[in-house]
Amino acid sequence: MSRTDLTALSPLLVVALAAVAVLLLISVRRNHRATATLTLAGLVLGLVSISWAATVTPHQVAPLLIADGYALFYSALVLAAAVVVCLLSFDYLEQRGEQREEFYVLLLLATLGGLVLVGASHFVTLFLGLEILSVAIYVMVAYARSSPLAAETGIKYLVLAGASSAFLVFGMALVYAQTGTLEFRPLVAQLSAIEGSGLALPGMALMLVGVGFKLAVVPFHMWTPEVYQGAPAPVTAFVATVSKGAMFALLLRFFAALGPGEARPLLVVLGLVAMASILAGNLLALLEQNIKRLLAFSSIAHLGYVLVAFLASSAFGDEAVTFYLVAYFVSTLAAFGVVTVLSDNEREAERIEDYRGLFWRRPLLATLMTGALLSLAGIPLTTGFVGKFAVVAAGVEASLWLPVSVLALGSAIGLYYYLRLVVVMLSSLDAGAATESAADSGRTPADPGQTPAWPRAARVGGGAALALGLLALLLLGLGLYPGPLMDVIESSVSPLR
Amino acid sequence: MELGAYLAVSAVLFVLGMAMAAARRSLIYVLMGLELILNAANINLVAFARFKPEIGLDGQIGAIFVIILAAAEAAIGLAIVLNVYSRFGTIRPDDIDELRQ
Repeated sequence: MSRTDLTALSPLLVVALAAVAVLLLISVRRNHRATATLTLAGLVLGLVSISWAATVTPHQVAPLLIADGYALFYSALVLAAAVVVCLLSFDYLEQRGEQREEFYVLLLLATLGGLVLVGASHFVTLFLGLEILSVAIYVMVAYARSSPLAAETGIKYLVLAGASSAFLVFGMALVYAQTGTLEFRPLVAQLSAIEGSGLALPGMALMLVGVGFKLAVVPFHMWTPEVYQGAPAPVTAFVATVSKGAMFALLLRFFAALGPGEARPLLVVLGLVAMASILAGNLLALLEQNIKRLLAFSSIAHLGYVLVAFLASSAFGDEAVTFYLVAYFVSTLAAFGVVTVLSDNEREAERIEDYRGLFWRRPLLATLMTGALLSLAGIPLTTGFVGKFAVVAAGVEASLWLPVSVLALGSAIGLYYYLRLVVVMLSSLDAGAATESAADSGRTPADPGQTPAWPRAARVGGGAALALGLLALLLLGLGLYPGPLMDVIESSVSPLR
Repeated sequence: MELGAYLAVSAVLFVLGMAMAAARRSLIYVLMGLELILNAANINLVAFARFKPEIGLDGQIGAIFVIILAAAEAAIGLAIVLNVYSRFGTIRPDDIDELRQ
């Protein structure tokens, strides 16, 4: 390995070393605060090292990994999301008496998997990255061992994710049979050279099953509500953002290299998947009474929106995909961040009733939650609006009339359940107490003057407050001044086509 | 031996693995089914690399990666299955359903 190789891989190396360092620290002395601080330092150092890696871009490391502007942009996104999750997890785990330190090793490893995935230029690194990410997430999902749902959620996620990676590998083997290479660039060249697709098309279809599962798009979305509900809130935030975003980055890189002729049949399928995801996600969310499940269904719909821009398969489409993913990261992390800080060690703040009158009890948190929901709904002034605008513009530019109209319809349905939640947060406390006492009349009705029993979590810790503050800033800032980020994205997606 | 023979074995393994995972008799069976699918893919990778020498060793090396990662996945999988067993007293997937709905 040359020096340039090491420089190009520095974000990966820093995160991998941080995982080892945290592991060693735990074996010497268990200290939650020190572990979290070291993890945070590792992630921030990883972010800093991206600017160092940027001095040698674009650089191909062996045939396995590529460090170009695109990979580095997504690396930064993954690392930033991991920083937020780390800050949120500290206070969340601090309330819980279990062994907490190992969580940070898993967080670092999962982040490392995401980094490998966004830089992959070879099927072996694709699978390697995917498995590092998934195996760490299996454990993170089942981490809260005292929680009744942990083991069940873990095994459900494990079985389905394991099946999807098995399909992915089998698909890879078929594509390899046809093209004789596992490397993206020569593989794509081979695909356009050979007559007829033979085994390559079924191979690609099997791979799409694996990818579709990770992205949780219809018809591979069934695991989403259960895993979102059963996993600890910070882990849910991680699964919703990093795991999906990194996979999408890889999908975009692969399809951008693919010529229009080979991509066509797959794009037709993905078009159907996009529309089905938008409709199913939004419709299923309508009736949901559990916030985590509601956000799960909404995330299915959001991945459908991103796929619409992806279908455009143009440079502008790539920019729209990337911007939308950034917006989705910010809004989703903010929403789950609020859920995380409202949860206490008894249960998670996941029922819609928990949020009744939140504006009068926790005005700042309620405002942030409203911002996140409005951004997810795509209301102007928020970053979600700019993202959705870019997606629609990309779709219209490519004359994808049907997917764009489904997107518009889906957004309209989406407005209903996002705003319903906002209304619940605005409504007065007395109404909630009244319905509660009506629901079970055996209990003594709550005193109108007293604060309700739930949520009890009193104070937002420093780390979580910092993370939520940053997210609030981004939520509004990127909505009002998307220009600078757009410029960065434009230059970073340019190596793709 | 012909390449076709290897492909046939691999296809049979793939179908068996799918059937085992889909039958949902026990979590251990499901995990074993997944291993079978991965090994079917391995046979394909290795066979293609062997019968088309001009394409290099990508397939062989790829198979080694798959073996390593499958082992990691199985280790974690069994650990979670143990957790499930200590909580539910069973490892039949259909009996493990506490999540709402």
